[in-house]
Amino acid sequence: MKKISLKASTAKIADTVATYLIIALISFIFFVPCIWIVLASFSKSGSIYSFDGFFPSAYSFGSFIKLFTDTGTYDYPLWFGNTFKIAACAAVLGTFLTLLTAYCMSRYRFKGRKAMMKATLVLGMFPSFMSMTAVYLLMTQLNAVNTHWGLIFIYSAGAPLGYMVYKGFFDTIPISIDEAAKLDGATNFQIFLRITLPLSKPMIVYAILMSFASPWSDYLLSSLLLKDKSLWTVAQGLMYMPDTEFSRYAAGSVFIAVPIMALYICLIKYMVNGMTSGAVKD
Amino acid sequence: MKLDMAGTGAQRKKPFALLREICAEGDWKCLLSAFIWGAGCFCYRQWIKGAIYLLLEAAFILFFVFFGGEALVGFFTLGVQEANPWFGIEGDNSITMLIWGIFAIIMIVVAVMVAWASVKSTYYAQCRVKKGEKPETFRQTLANLLDKNFYKTALFLPVISVCVFNILPIVFMILIAFTNYGGDIVPPKLVDWIGLANFVKLFNLSEFSSTLFKILEWNVMWAVMATALTYFGGLGLALLYNKKCVKARGFFRIFPVLAYALPGFITMLGFKFMFSYGGPINYYITEAGGSAVGFLDIDAGWNARLVGLFVSGWMSIPSFMLYCSGILSNMNQDIHEAAIIDGASAFKRFIYLTLPFVIFATTPILISSFIGNFNNFGVFFFLRGGLYVDGYFLASDTDLLINWLYNLSISNNYYAIGAAISLVIFLFTSTVSLVVYILSPSYRKEETYQ
Amino acid sequence: MKKRLSVLCFSLAALMVLPLSACGESNSSGTGNNRFTGDLESERGAVIKVMDNGTAIEKGITEDLLAAFNEEYAEYGISAVDANMDSTDLAQDGPYGYGPDVLFGANDALMPYAADKHILPLPIDQLDCYDDIDANAWAAYEQSVDGVEYTFGIPVLVQAPVLYYNKSVLPENWQNEWDDDKDGTPDMVQYMNDLYAFSVQRKESSGGKQFGVMASYVGAYNIVGFLYTYGGYTFGANNTDPSDIGHSAGNAEKGAYTLRQLASAMDERCVDESLGLVAYDNLGDGTFFATISTPDVYSLFIDSLVDHGMSQQEAEANLGVASIPALPVSGDLTDASQGYLESKTMGGINGWAISSYTKYPNTCLAFIEFASNYEMVKNRCEILGSVSARTDVAADTGGLSMIVNENLERGNIIIQPSIKAVEQIWTPLSSLFTDIAKDPYRGASEQKYTTLPKLKSALENCDQQIYNAIFTLS
Repeated sequence: MKKISLKASTAKIADTVATYLIIALISFIFFVPCIWIVLASFSKSGSIYSFDGFFPSAYSFGSFIKLFTDTGTYDYPLWFGNTFKIAACAAVLGTFLTLLTAYCMSRYRFKGRKAMMKATLVLGMFPSFMSMTAVYLLMTQLNAVNTHWGLIFIYSAGAPLGYMVYKGFFDTIPISIDEAAKLDGATNFQIFLRITLPLSKPMIVYAILMSFASPWSDYLLSSLLLKDKSLWTVAQGLMYMPDTEFSRYAAGSVFIAVPIMALYICLIKYMVNGMTSGAVKD
Repeated sequence: MKLDMAGTGAQRKKPFALLREICAEGDWKCLLSAFIWGAGCFCYRQWIKGAIYLLLEAAFILFFVFFGGEALVGFFTLGVQEANPWFGIEGDNSITMLIWGIFAIIMIVVAVMVAWASVKSTYYAQCRVKKGEKPETFRQTLANLLDKNFYKTALFLPVISVCVFNILPIVFMILIAFTNYGGDIVPPKLVDWIGLANFVKLFNLSEFSSTLFKILEWNVMWAVMATALTYFGGLGLALLYNKKCVKARGFFRIFPVLAYALPGFITMLGFKFMFSYGGPINYYITEAGGSAVGFLDIDAGWNARLVGLFVSGWMSIPSFMLYCSGILSNMNQDIHEAAIIDGASAFKRFIYLTLPFVIFATTPILISSFIGNFNNFGVFFFLRGGLYVDGYFLASDTDLLINWLYNLSISNNYYAIGAAISLVIFLFTSTVSLVVYILSPSYRKEETYQ
Repeated sequence: MKKRLSVLCFSLAALMVLPLSACGESNSSGTGNNRFTGDLESERGAVIKVMDNGTAIEKGITEDLLAAFNEEYAEYGISAVDANMDSTDLAQDGPYGYGPDVLFGANDALMPYAADKHILPLPIDQLDCYDDIDANAWAAYEQSVDGVEYTFGIPVLVQAPVLYYNKSVLPENWQNEWDDDKDGTPDMVQYMNDLYAFSVQRKESSGGKQFGVMASYVGAYNIVGFLYTYGGYTFGANNTDPSDIGHSAGNAEKGAYTLRQLASAMDERCVDESLGLVAYDNLGDGTFFATISTPDVYSLFIDSLVDHGMSQQEAEANLGVASIPALPVSGDLTDASQGYLESKTMGGINGWAISSYTKYPNTCLAFIEFASNYEMVKNRCEILGSVSARTDVAADTGGLSMIVNENLERGNIIIQPSIKAVEQIWTPLSSLFTDIAKDPYRGASEQKYTTLPKLKSALENCDQQIYNAIFTLS
């Protein structure tokens, strides 16, 4: 008896060690390119090519200081603010629309529903850049070129197409919870607001992250619609920096990652802790 | 439960069956409602609802008198007066006319739908009166919109926004395939409808076919490999971090999230440099005495393909991992506990409990990830753009269909041909993915875990 | 006042020319429209948007130019502002009112707008700067539309690849060993064979750590001149007929062969696009002796030399600039017995053009004329280190400017085509050039381009690709 438990505990330790080794390796793979960009942002010479392999030959804070103070040609703080505004609005609107869509598709059976599900799937297969011309023309007709709200509209309007992922999640929430609420006289709107949403925190977090991150780092659409430099997003600004400004580019890239990291750290606790366990006992 | 939510039996009838029924059973009020929207509502004393319908009708009529009619004509002519910017002569812009034409057609469809709704609402009122009930009051209608018909309220905005910003542009591009837009014929020159000429041209181009099949083969292979990598990588990571023995999960998850937080274009340009001859990887290879490896150069072939796979995995695994973490945290733990008490091994629990659940919940994202990978424009555009390889017609051996399409149409300005090719490809890929989707359990048995 | 008069004169002339051009008679001063009335009064209150080149904005040139213009024309109540844009597709932005009124760009970027009338034909012979600019430069902006010849832009800068080299890397005894013609200029910056020999020697003696010439083969613009030198050309009929593509014409394969030889004296990085950037730093620290690049990056090389411990004057004295060295008639960099050919290069002309969608054509014309005057062009060239298309500025600047302008006059700079089809030449060409560059580094059995006929057929294949890109789908 004792022997077996000893064996089991050795296996357990081996398992733990192996797990940590794999995690370390994975962390390394994901971390190396990031740390490379971080190092590059601290490079003194500004050029990518005075590196000794992975490491810059000399370090300084210069490019970060330049990034926020030398705003004549490259107004990074302004671009950062613009992007934040666009991404935040698009994330709120987009998440709201997407969750509504996903909830309806998961909980209701109405005519045209299956057709809609198939149609949204098919829409995603159309090469997006082919419709760029049309989007641009549409925006010129709506007088929305060179405006932020035009961009916010497009980002959040496209978001419901990604409802499928969240529908998959809603499908896993037991319907018995809804039925119980129904018996207590709640309307479907109330069920959505008071029961489904609170139960879906991990998915909401995921949805916010996704719908914040894609406008945040998008380049194609913003460069199509925002012509004026004072309206630009960081992605446009970074692409505009010449290669001779590499360390400033890298510093700008590092800062781009900060809001998403911050958002992640704020929201992570909702994702890690399970929430339906205990809600239903059947 | 489901039936309850979907409403009354009449509402569940197929539109055509309902139409036939109304034609047979409906009275003059129904007929009148088709022409004067809301007339039926007035007859049944549903004043507010009737007024809303009537206002809508007025709006539609005004729209078509002042604008829509002209836009509709423009859709067919695509302009008659050519502009001359040199003299400041503003002529017709065929392309914007096409957009407004599509918009006018959409409005007609909407008008028909509203008229249909008006008829239906009259008919339901008629049925209720016949059964001796009172017609639905406005308050009831509103209450229903938050309860039984909540889906209508909720889906209104998403459907409108998707129609305007996604469907309209796609319809526009599909229609472009039947015009001569592109090349030398761009505004201010006038564009014309040319029927199927673009498709005829496509099928007559022999140079195309061999490249098309080579690229298609690689494209399918790529989509399968990239999706598999993302799927198993993301799921694997999520399970790994979810293991009981792992402490400080939040901390370890930060590394993949870091990768996710960096915008794609920065990552891809960074990787392009890292894998170049002058980059750090080759620096260490040569320092260690090896000879430089051309990861992405013209001869790279499978090297470049594998680098692309690695980069795409690096970029998409983190978000998939986040999704799977969310899914796993939602799994019913009770069954697992029961299984542990029954003495099921960890492996068995994974195979029989975790995996089916995860597969069920992830099928939709798996399909969207497959589609995303199939149409992954960025990876090879950034890593290995601007290269043509022997044996390919204006493409390289890593180019996917979408990259090829870009070479052919956007960079050459042949919009009409590009639209025709994408339409053909689109028909093919959407058929395949639709079939897969319809056969998948998360489509056929949506209620499994509910 | 004088300017106003000249504009007025022109408008009268234009009125007389108009009926003529309507008859289809060719006349280069025709503008095909009646929008340049010369009447600045009627445009009082006009504010035009000017889109300048990014480097010019960064270096403050644009700001100075706008300030000077606004001061000069304050009495008319017209002014110009920075369009605050990085780039524009005039065909897409102009009609909807999002484009700039005045644009600065290279001829291959601006001229494709001409055919669709997105930019206005200019009354050039009425302009003060008309005689000060070389006819070859004006030619880059001429195009016939509907059978009439027009000019669409005012040339400001000339771009053509040149050889930059670091004089401190020259061997101590170069006057004895590397100056056979005793003209006081090192042979390796005059003759490609010597540059090749020096490159091979330097690479071997340093164990592959130091190089002679290094250049990225991805930048087709910089090296397509090797083909031109031996009789190749891009489009027929003076770069206007896209159905005749001639990179394989004449003995162009010899040019390709010299490119292959030269690549073997570099290393595999020459297939990297990034080599062009490495070059600044590595020329500065002496790792590379020479590289091929355009005049507008002169200041970047100077900066790099300063970074590596030189003073500004030392750096300027130390940075050598020369025409691309002469190529051997034999097409073999180890055989100079048949003499040399002067190298031809591709070139471009940067200039000002006016959008057809502007509401204030007269203000725009006044602006671009002002921007092309002696002081403004001189200021631009001095700060950027670029080469002026104005011969008077070039003569006063000397050095690099003289070299480039001399080459332009001698016909050694072939101005890149101004037609739309030019966009299709870059990918096939740079794919071929990187393929050729890679060839010496392949295993002996895998080498594709060891003989002239093989190169010839590769060039023909490349021409066919370009042809396909232009015509298959049209």
